[in-house]
Amino acid sequence: MKLGLVIDLDTCVGCHACATACKEWNASSRVSGALSDYEPFGAEPSGVWFNRVRHYEVGEYPANKTINFPMSCLHCEDADCVTVCPTGASYKRDDGIVLVDQDKCMGCNLCAWACPYGARELDEATGTMKKCTLCVDRVYDKMLPPEDRQPACVLACPTHARLFGDFDDPQSEVSRVTAERGGFALMPELGLKPVNRYLPPRQPKPVMGDDEARRLLDRGLASLASPVIRR
Amino acid sequence: MKPALSIVFFTVSSGAGLGLLAWITLIDLFASEALSPQVQWRAATLGLVLLAAGLASSVLHLAKPQNAWRALSRFRTSWLSREAILATVLFPVAATYIVLTAARSGGAWRSFLAVATCLLAWAVLFATAMIYASLKPIRQWRTPWTPANYLLLGHWSGALLLATIVVAYDAAPRMLLALALLVGVAALAAKLTYWASIGEKAAGARTAPTLERAIGVPAGVHGPGPMTVAQARLLDAGHSHGTFLTNEFGFELARQHARFLRGAALALGFGVPLAWLLLGAPYWQVGLGAAACGIIGLLAERWLFFAEARHTVRLYHGDRRT
Repeated sequence: MKLGLVIDLDTCVGCHACATACKEWNASSRVSGALSDYEPFGAEPSGVWFNRVRHYEVGEYPANKTINFPMSCLHCEDADCVTVCPTGASYKRDDGIVLVDQDKCMGCNLCAWACPYGARELDEATGTMKKCTLCVDRVYDKMLPPEDRQPACVLACPTHARLFGDFDDPQSEVSRVTAERGGFALMPELGLKPVNRYLPPRQPKPVMGDDEARRLLDRGLASLASPVIRR
Repeated sequence: MKPALSIVFFTVSSGAGLGLLAWITLIDLFASEALSPQVQWRAATLGLVLLAAGLASSVLHLAKPQNAWRALSRFRTSWLSREAILATVLFPVAATYIVLTAARSGGAWRSFLAVATCLLAWAVLFATAMIYASLKPIRQWRTPWTPANYLLLGHWSGALLLATIVVAYDAAPRMLLALALLVGVAALAAKLTYWASIGEKAAGARTAPTLERAIGVPAGVHGPGPMTVAQARLLDAGHSHGTFLTNEFGFELARQHARFLRGAALALGFGVPLAWLLLGAPYWQVGLGAAACGIIGLLAERWLFFAEARHTVRLYHGDRRT
């Protein structure tokens, strides 16, 4: 098994619902303990999150686009955060999920340094490392109806930009959509074999692409030049 | 990377202590008449004390030190675990060696313990360096120059301390001063090469991951139409105030401070002590000052080692490259 997420950058609207749903579910999780907040109602609120959404602009106008970019643990196949851990607190399960045993962690931060993606955050209140659990306490819970046995972030997403599944199964939805849409891994050159895949935005017919912009630019230049240049 | 003072002090102090232990045992094995037993056991004790102080300081860096004993469990994959185990083994071995040396007894056993202490000191130094050199997200650390620097700087500061102690108790043998000088120059060369290798014009910087690669622009993450300018920039980091990530990895070192600190590291860490050795190591009081300068210089050097390291998480927070 190789459990992981697919994140569709085409449909993600950057609403942070996945991040807050994650925080809500995992704040009372028994897998990782609380996700501590520091000064939640103070002037400079901060705290532990498993999932953070960042926003980028790619390209130059008019061929530019806003990319909303949620990031959580990519549950790497060759997870360096696990191999560098001196206490054995970090471990990878047979189903691919990378977890931290909160009873063993000594809070040395080395796993966070070894993770290129910033998936791990130290909880100052407990002194231990926290990270995405892929909602291991939801996805195997037989008390939940089958359709709810998914990570909280996936269930919360209003645009269905997140999918959960087994990448080892070529028939699974995550495997199929990754193949169809050219799903890619983040910084594969670092060699950690991240499992999660990101789907690039679809390429629509440009509303105002290069040609249109060039035409407008030419017309603008012509109107500027006309009073001065005799044709 | 945020330069945590506990780790800066730890690596400098334990590096000097391990270097000192390695020198004492090597001289004992290959030039046993060079040093008197008094100097030998006193210098070795200082080495062990420096190592202990360093390790104590490293525990301060832990957020949950009551679990520190568990760090002895994952030696098969973790360099931090290997370092902890090797250092734990080194203590009784080196302590027994020191006691036998002070008592002027032990015979072949003492020689065996000297070999073991030397090998363990080298192993701990190397393991410390590999903690950093094995981290893939930090190109400034993931280079063979990291272990080369740690080994040479440990031996340089150890040789400097040994020279001071020897001058204070006996007449210093020329061989020892020449060795210290040689290691100092080698360490200086290795440090300068390291700095050149992490510079903005070095090969590593040109092939380092960029923000565009980090978010998958080459894989198709871009706007409509053909890509002309494939440039990405951060619009919003998604948090209103600092996070663990910005705290730990967001440290920004001003260029002028870097220049000043590099100068200080060179002048204090190498210039002053090398000058003292070149002058024939006059007066142990001056030697003490030179050794103190050397250690302060190496503290600046180690602080820079962290401050100048740029983790790939910075790309996701808007840095153009690492």
